[in-house]
Amino acid sequence: MLDVTNPRTLGRSICIITGASRGFGRALAHKVSRWLQPGSVLLLVARSETLLQELKGELWSFIVDQQSAVHCVAADLSTREGLDETVRVARQEAVTEMDRVLLINNAASLGNLSNFATFTGIDEVNSYLSFNVSSALVLTAGILQAFPRVPLQQRSVVNVSSTFALRPLPSWVLYCTAKAAREMMFRVLAEEQPHVKVLSYSPGPMDTDMQRDILRLTGVKNHLLPCQESAEKLVKLLLDDDFVSGTHLDFFKLKKLTSRDDTTM
Amino acid sequence: MSSPARTDLGRALCIITGASRGFGRTVAREMSRLLKPGSALVLTARSVDELRALQAELAESEAGRAGLLVECVVADLSEADGLASIVKASKVAFSEDMDHVLLVNNAASLGDVSRYAKSFTDKAEVDSYLSVNVSSSLCLTASVLQAFPQRPGQLRTVVNISSLCALQPFRSWVLYCTGKAARDMMFRVLAEEEPDVRVLNYAPGPLDTAMQTVARSRTADPDVRKSFSDMFAQGQLLTCEASCSKLMKLLLEDGYTTGAHIDVYDV
Repeated sequence: MLDVTNPRTLGRSICIITGASRGFGRALAHKVSRWLQPGSVLLLVARSETLLQELKGELWSFIVDQQSAVHCVAADLSTREGLDETVRVARQEAVTEMDRVLLINNAASLGNLSNFATFTGIDEVNSYLSFNVSSALVLTAGILQAFPRVPLQQRSVVNVSSTFALRPLPSWVLYCTAKAAREMMFRVLAEEQPHVKVLSYSPGPMDTDMQRDILRLTGVKNHLLPCQESAEKLVKLLLDDDFVSGTHLDFFKLKKLTSRDDTTM
Repeated sequence: MSSPARTDLGRALCIITGASRGFGRTVAREMSRLLKPGSALVLTARSVDELRALQAELAESEAGRAGLLVECVVADLSEADGLASIVKASKVAFSEDMDHVLLVNNAASLGDVSRYAKSFTDKAEVDSYLSVNVSSSLCLTASVLQAFPQRPGQLRTVVNISSLCALQPFRSWVLYCTGKAARDMMFRVLAEEEPDVRVLNYAPGPLDTAMQTVARSRTADPDVRKSFSDMFAQGQLLTCEASCSKLMKLLLEDGYTTGAHIDVYDV
């Protein structure tokens, strides 16, 4: 059970991270694992079995020293089968008396960056919304059903969001629309589920393949954050746990980590 | 000094989705009175009988007898061929002397409000909802903008029938809120991209329609359901006509900031 005299821990938990094979999801796997107590389970979900296994290899000290488990779920979350498999493995691998269930909905795609008027094909739009919106709702619903409310257990759901969930950007209609959809979706969830802590976290532009695609497609070069830095900030938010459920928090609008926090991180 | 508001919407091609009932039907009727002779209305919905009845009614109206062309397209907006048939009919109805192309994205569905977000484990259901309520309005709008590109002397207006639910979450309304929030953002992106297109996210308020009846009878959340049934009981629902007249006022004055979300109670 959670030691309330030392609250800065994610506890003995099951943590599910989607889009875990690369970029922000991969950085999160590393950061989160450091704050999980022995007996925890980390479920890494992505399409690439190879990259997931490689990541699992990097987490050997978590597995061995912290006596925890890492499970790789190679699944396509744009399919019903992939979503079902993820929930199935989560149910199977979670042990009783977990302090926390933490779901991080990180998997996402950029979509076609193109003028609004080019989106005349409904299949493309449906496919994009299915992966970037439907999957997040279906997975979250599946996990909440698999782990119904249990006294003294915290359930947390993170929506990896974007500043473009809140403001429009020309040529980015698919991405903005999906992020805005997700934002509202998780706000409704927060309203409905007072015992689930919901956070929409905007991580800032990071050194990921997605940003490399953005540069290639648009020529726009952002000042990029290391994924690790943004991942640290998200983990800190989860540890401090003093945000209002359903809120949108942005990396850039949060106070800098104090030097005290830096040493403990 | 601002010029006086227009008294009509020009010689226009006006396309209205979900035109067979409720707010869409009222928009068709009100719009018909504001269009100059030589205009065309393209009305689309899935239900053929109601559409034909509306078409007949408008043909017999003063506007109809003065030369307003009223076309009906029975189509499912979430089907590629449905979208194509609307665009095709619009192109046929269009004439070169038209000075305004106006699209009203009104068609929508409530989704199953008898359930909470955590019950939505069926991906096909969520996909289908987003297809009808989000994808179809993006694709139809894109198709109309492509079919009727910017021309000097011609105005293009796109209206999204929005909702308070685009801005505020409501318990047991996850699909509807998500769809409306998605649409508002979609049309804000359009407004940013195309300064020559007038884009309006109009929230019509609580209307006395079939959708509202479902809302107050099926909503799972007791507080939300009560607030709807209280509105009904206390006569606080708006008639479609009352809300539509506010929308027409906004369109005639044409002073709104493109991409803005404007609620009936703001007008």
